[in-house]
Amino acid sequence: MLFRILKNSFLKRPKAVFLVFLSIAMGAAVATAFLGIAGEVSHKMALELRSYGANILLEPSAAQGGGFLREEDLPKIKTVFWKYNITGFTPYLFGIAEFSAGGRKERGVVSGTWFAKQLEVPGEDISTQGIKGIAPWWEVKGRWPEDADEAIVGAALAKRLNVVPGSDVKSAVRGRIQQFRIVGVVTTGGYEEEQLFAPLVTVQSLLQRQGKVSRVLVSALTVPMDDFGKKDPATMTRDEYEKWYCTAYVTSVAKNVEEVMGGSRAKPIWQIASAEGALLKKLNSVMLLLTVLALGASATAVSTSLMASMAERSPEIALMKAVGADRYQIGTIFIGETLFISLAGGVIGFLIGDQLSELISRTVFNSTIASPLWLFPTAIISAFIVAIAGSVAPLRRALLIEPVRVLKG
Amino acid sequence: MSSAIIETNGLTRSYGDICALKPLDLLVPEGEWLSVMGHSGSGKSTLMNLVGGLDRPTSGTLRVGGEELLALNEDGLARFRREFVGIIFQQHHLVPYLTAVENVMMAQYFHSVPDEAEARHALERVGLGHRLKNRPGELSGGEQQRVCIARAIINSPKLLLGDEPTGNLDNKSTVMVMELLKELRAEERFTVIMVTHNQEVAAWGDRTIHLDDGVLVREDRLKVEGKAG
Repeated sequence: MLFRILKNSFLKRPKAVFLVFLSIAMGAAVATAFLGIAGEVSHKMALELRSYGANILLEPSAAQGGGFLREEDLPKIKTVFWKYNITGFTPYLFGIAEFSAGGRKERGVVSGTWFAKQLEVPGEDISTQGIKGIAPWWEVKGRWPEDADEAIVGAALAKRLNVVPGSDVKSAVRGRIQQFRIVGVVTTGGYEEEQLFAPLVTVQSLLQRQGKVSRVLVSALTVPMDDFGKKDPATMTRDEYEKWYCTAYVTSVAKNVEEVMGGSRAKPIWQIASAEGALLKKLNSVMLLLTVLALGASATAVSTSLMASMAERSPEIALMKAVGADRYQIGTIFIGETLFISLAGGVIGFLIGDQLSELISRTVFNSTIASPLWLFPTAIISAFIVAIAGSVAPLRRALLIEPVRVLKG
Repeated sequence: MSSAIIETNGLTRSYGDICALKPLDLLVPEGEWLSVMGHSGSGKSTLMNLVGGLDRPTSGTLRVGGEELLALNEDGLARFRREFVGIIFQQHHLVPYLTAVENVMMAQYFHSVPDEAEARHALERVGLGHRLKNRPGELSGGEQQRVCIARAIINSPKLLLGDEPTGNLDNKSTVMVMELLKELRAEERFTVIMVTHNQEVAAWGDRTIHLDDGVLVREDRLKVEGKAG
């Protein structure tokens, strides 16, 4: 009988039913679209944020007496548990050198590094590692070094030495001399502008530190730090440690890298990690807020439509009460009607939202996304929530209808 | 006549400063057909609404079928209406989007379990076996009133209330409806309270009370041979 009442009620009032259906479907569509792209947006934003610079610093551990890391260990970074989260890394070997060019002499830092090294790791895809990848904001006037005797020089040092791309600079370290052809002048906005950057192998030879590096900067995709992520792993239980290790916190990725780099100590670069974390958290909060606002707007629209419909249906409700319907039976009919519409609205809303998220992803990120499986039940539940929230006030009004006042005359 | 099915003592109903029903003492024996007469605003519909559990008294006591209605909450009154009372309205009040048989089944649904065969039988008893699938808009006034009667009797009520049930009908339909009610009462043995301002309709009852300005002013015990039987 309930089904007959619902079916006939729908057929009798197609406009009112369609309005409620439309409100619910729109709410579910927007919720689906926002939640669908929220994960994708976070991932894409995290990738974009990697251009802020590295977020993990690897240095020789204190137990090593402040010595050096081994260059031969570097490929292991691409074999760790979180290897797919590591978007790039580059080693550095620093030394103090006497630079001379065109009669000018300056003391400064010579830095050996990888610019864009093709790294082959057995069992892994070939990757390109180096400064070009992890510091994309560096502006190079000229070009990046390609040969062993080519270098780029920081803008401040270049000014003092009065060198430009094409100039030669002699670097002297404890009696050993290496001549570099300057191929570019780099502007970074930081301390790097006081340095000369040359291929690692050349600087290792100049400094007599073959196979050694001073530090490694690692850029990794991480999740925002929460209270659990900030806990000291040394105080964790076994289960807690496993959960922490298997979550891509900057601390757990750093720990992961540290384990494969012999004699190293990995430290998060907090100003980068926390800025990224805060930004991603805000982004997620905005997406969630927009979703809640969209659902709220839908619930309001549902409520308004049902209120109008309720005024029209008050004789019907009064009659049901007069023949003995109690609050639960009246509630069952009206909630049943709304839930039935919301089920249809949820399904259609999901289909529209899925296409909407695809469109947003293509337009904003130039990529396609696959809706996760959980999104369908989420859309249906969102539709139910909208329906229930939108039904509260109209149902309250329905329950307050007094048959004797409505049916008299 | 047996024991009283309705018993009121000092029953009043006021709406703000307006007293629609002044203290009323009334006994209605089980199985009686009581007609309530009076002009517009005399309090007859107010009395019917109170007895049917559709409204609450301002003061006094009201026992119907052994239940003190003042003691019942909203859901208690709803249960009382569906289990004890059948109501026939002047303006029929059928759900417009349900067929005749579905309108009758709706009362069954609120009472217990809908039974289409039983609902069809009820409509056949009121002479509408051929109109089962018609919606109210497709029925005449007399037919709609008969659907209303079928709905009122479907749950075998102990008390049948009629609020000017023939008020919108022509003479021929009025007689048909009254004869039908008489037959059904003879079979089902329910008590009837019939509000009317039509002397001829009131004459179908065992007794008539007259209300004026909320006060019971006169009582006639009627017996019209061949009609109210």
